[in-house]
Amino acid sequence: MKKYTPASTFTTLILSVVALFYLYPLFLVVINSFKTFSEITSNVLALPKSLVFENFSNAFRIMNYPQYFLNTLLATAVGVSGVVLVSSMAGYKLSRTKTRYSFVMFMVLIAPMMIPFHSFMISLVKVAKELHLIGSPLGLGVLYWGLGASLALFMYHGAVKSVPQELDDCALIDGAGPLRAFFQIIFPLLQPVTVSVIVINTMWMWNDFLLPLLVLSGSKKSLTLQLAAYNFFGLYKVDWNFAMAGVLLTILPAVIFYLSLQRYIIKGMVAGAVKT
Amino acid sequence: MKKMLFVVMAVLLAFSPLFAAGQQEQAAGPVTLNVLFYSPELAEQYNDMVAAYKAETGVTLDITVLQTDYRSVLTSRLNSGDVPDIFMSSAYADNSTYKDYVYDLTNEDFIKKIEPSALQGVTVDGKVLGYPFLVQSHSFIYNKKVFADNGITTLPKTLADFEAVSKKLQANGVQPFATGFKEFWVLPQTAWQAIANVPAENYGGYENFVAKLNAGELKFKDIPQMSQVFDLLDLIKKYGGPKPNESDFNDQTSSLATGKVAMIHQGNWAEDSIRKTNPEVEIGFLVGPTGNNAATAGIMFDSNQTIRIAKDGKNLDAALDWLRWLTTSEYGRNWIPGKVKQLSPIIGAAAPDSQIAKETSALLASGTPGYPWFYQMFPTGTEQQLGAILQGYCAGITNRAQTLDALDSAYAKIAKAAQ
Amino acid sequence: MESMTPLKRKQWDRALTFALFTLPALAAILISVEIPFLMSVFSSFTKWNGLDRAQTFIGLENYKELFLDDLDMWKAFGFTLRLTLGSVLVVNLCALLLAVLLDSDIRGKNALRAAFYVPNIVSLIIIGYIWRFIFSAGFESFFQTTGMDFFMFSWLGDVNLVYFSVLMVSVWHSLGFYLVIYIAGLQTVPRDLIEASMIDGAGRVVRFFRITLPLIMSAITVSVFHSLSNGLKAFDVIFSLTNGGPGNSTTTIALDIYRTAFVINRFGYGTAKSVVLFLMILILSIFQVRLFKSREVEV
Repeated sequence: MKKYTPASTFTTLILSVVALFYLYPLFLVVINSFKTFSEITSNVLALPKSLVFENFSNAFRIMNYPQYFLNTLLATAVGVSGVVLVSSMAGYKLSRTKTRYSFVMFMVLIAPMMIPFHSFMISLVKVAKELHLIGSPLGLGVLYWGLGASLALFMYHGAVKSVPQELDDCALIDGAGPLRAFFQIIFPLLQPVTVSVIVINTMWMWNDFLLPLLVLSGSKKSLTLQLAAYNFFGLYKVDWNFAMAGVLLTILPAVIFYLSLQRYIIKGMVAGAVKT
Repeated sequence: MKKMLFVVMAVLLAFSPLFAAGQQEQAAGPVTLNVLFYSPELAEQYNDMVAAYKAETGVTLDITVLQTDYRSVLTSRLNSGDVPDIFMSSAYADNSTYKDYVYDLTNEDFIKKIEPSALQGVTVDGKVLGYPFLVQSHSFIYNKKVFADNGITTLPKTLADFEAVSKKLQANGVQPFATGFKEFWVLPQTAWQAIANVPAENYGGYENFVAKLNAGELKFKDIPQMSQVFDLLDLIKKYGGPKPNESDFNDQTSSLATGKVAMIHQGNWAEDSIRKTNPEVEIGFLVGPTGNNAATAGIMFDSNQTIRIAKDGKNLDAALDWLRWLTTSEYGRNWIPGKVKQLSPIIGAAAPDSQIAKETSALLASGTPGYPWFYQMFPTGTEQQLGAILQGYCAGITNRAQTLDALDSAYAKIAKAAQ
Repeated sequence: MESMTPLKRKQWDRALTFALFTLPALAAILISVEIPFLMSVFSSFTKWNGLDRAQTFIGLENYKELFLDDLDMWKAFGFTLRLTLGSVLVVNLCALLLAVLLDSDIRGKNALRAAFYVPNIVSLIIIGYIWRFIFSAGFESFFQTTGMDFFMFSWLGDVNLVYFSVLMVSVWHSLGFYLVIYIAGLQTVPRDLIEASMIDGAGRVVRFFRITLPLIMSAITVSVFHSLSNGLKAFDVIFSLTNGGPGNSTTTIALDIYRTAFVINRFGYGTAKSVVLFLMILILSIFQVRLFKSREVEV
């Protein structure tokens, strides 16, 4: 039975107050999503006079939400699963292989983290066009593999160190091939890292804007939610009421996803597995 | 070993729908034009027009509307071969930027229906390389009620006038200006208006003026009237409230609409936001001061937003048909004045229901100078670079001499690279 | 295969397995990043506006100009370094501290973790607008209620203060991201080690520095590396909050590159700058990773 000490309750309290301040800007997004346009522009900080739910229904309709939700989901799901797959395998192997070639390949594979996206995005569009990855959420997901693999690989590379090397040999002795040995024995032990990789990549892929803009903008039915929400923002004029509502509609699935995975992280703690 | 093969085959299988997915876009059927525009504030109006065109001709316009990322997306698409049939750009300097991609409209019948003055910005060596989309004006917009409430009956024309008006407003507790200095584009449009008469009077016209600047023969620091620019910026800043460098477009339009400030430097495109914030507001247009000479103070009036047809677009004829329809059909001719509510470049078009457009026409009719947006003739990229330097002046980073030097060196670099 | 010696066979198998595990990642990264980047590098040796059909080869001219005649770029680089130093320090310290607190036995852990993470998933355009408004209109009304001078300073318009505003918004936005990494790291620390040390009588602080810290070194390496290269690539926050202003005082090098390539249309020159940026990040990162990885401990 967990006993919460007075000190821990106090900590919770302090952190809660900090969290409230921390979330104030988002509180502003929420209250403004219920205001009319002129209410917003005259005073952003005021509470809404009455709740304008139409902002949400209008934004939902204008954004073609159901179709674009599915597109975004597809691109994100394909992207994330690909990243987890290729990065866990490579990160594991590179971490266990302590040769010079391994280190060089490691550097080659994490180098992309240092390259600013704008410097190669035009060439990427060219390459994507050649490979027929343009114009569909599926193609976008495939492009995401290479973009998300570097950080994930880096994380797996480090996390593998907390899995004893004896286990590698154990699994092989049982007669399993290297791939099966990895996925059946080692991979489950890396669960916290896998969950983090899933969370991190789901978030940025779900919210990504620039790459979808470049590869999907030629095909109206393939757009993602972020692209749709962005349409409310003009250089001069912004439909603030729809924009705020649209933004909330876009990030809501991501927040729900994160909250549901949170509990999963707790459940999947490493504790027992290391006791051999 | 067998397991590995199995995995490889599974992966390949997984890949195969990919190749199929890319191919499906080539289906035949009614024509769809691929369009890339900016100005998302006109999204509703675009949709309206698309519906009307489809109803009349069956052709679909698939318009993607962007704003801040517009240029990078357009560049990337033109580059990769994914060329939009129709796109948008500025006039003047952008003629050479997109020269490899635009269709020559000179011999099209509908070009004859456009006001010659609007065609100036898109004509190079006698060739018409773009279609003027809108005619716009910018200068100082003022809130009529605020002026009336504070007893201001004569409209200011010179720097001294503006100073007097500002003093009066300030004394009554009203903030005279919302500066807009946070937006880099507000600074050039405010600043260059202050010397709008100079190129024609002293340097043989706008083209000569820009040519001399491009060649390095003329520098900003050699132009004595640049002091008018700095004087004006100083004035706006002085009377621009406690945080003049943080005021952006939103601050300008909402402050003016609610009567919190009396004047902003903006263009007719701001009217929609202003009236949406306060539907009862009454706004007017003031001339922009050129030093202390009331006769040369005018407004900036030109067609800068340009529609361009891609010469390598897959649906070139359909695109031209659309432009023809925009220029000659009943709906098309009324679209800009009626729905977009701005001035149209088409000969004989109706006047829009816009307070600023009305004031613009009235001012021009009464003989006020309407200057072209000559600063768009500067090489592409100068707007942002020079705007940032002027912004630095307003923030106190550089003094006048340093600002002029910075303007000159930035301009020289861009001009050299553009050759 | 049968003619190989057992040793050679073992080496061949090992190499094959190595390839099997690493080639998918290599292929993906080559396609999405490295090949396009090399194509762009080629452009850095040309004079090209990104649009013209023809690219003119000019050799090292762009690089010469970059090193000898571009004060703006080096100013931007200086600002970027200052901002990165600040953000790496602040975000990692705060995230680590928060992770420790949120990993211990306190109530409402899940809710608090979510609370600190949410800002990271909101689009930066919104963040920019909201914070701009807080700094100007918001601060004005705070001033009216509290009378504190703090609120009347021009946090985004004053050249001396804008660094702190940008730093703060940047940390606010990215904290949650590093929180996730640190929490995951803390959870890979085997509980039995902690329990053993508690039995041995080790206090909280000693436990943290002697056991936890070395074992989460890999998470620290990842976070510092990521925040370092992200800091040096900083673009979105600046673009939406200040657009590099006032003047060019908060222009980061990534923004400078973007403008060079897409606003001024000097695409060749812009890619040359991004190659130099990449090399600088590479050098700094190799140094940092080597340093931190040597401290990582394996179980």
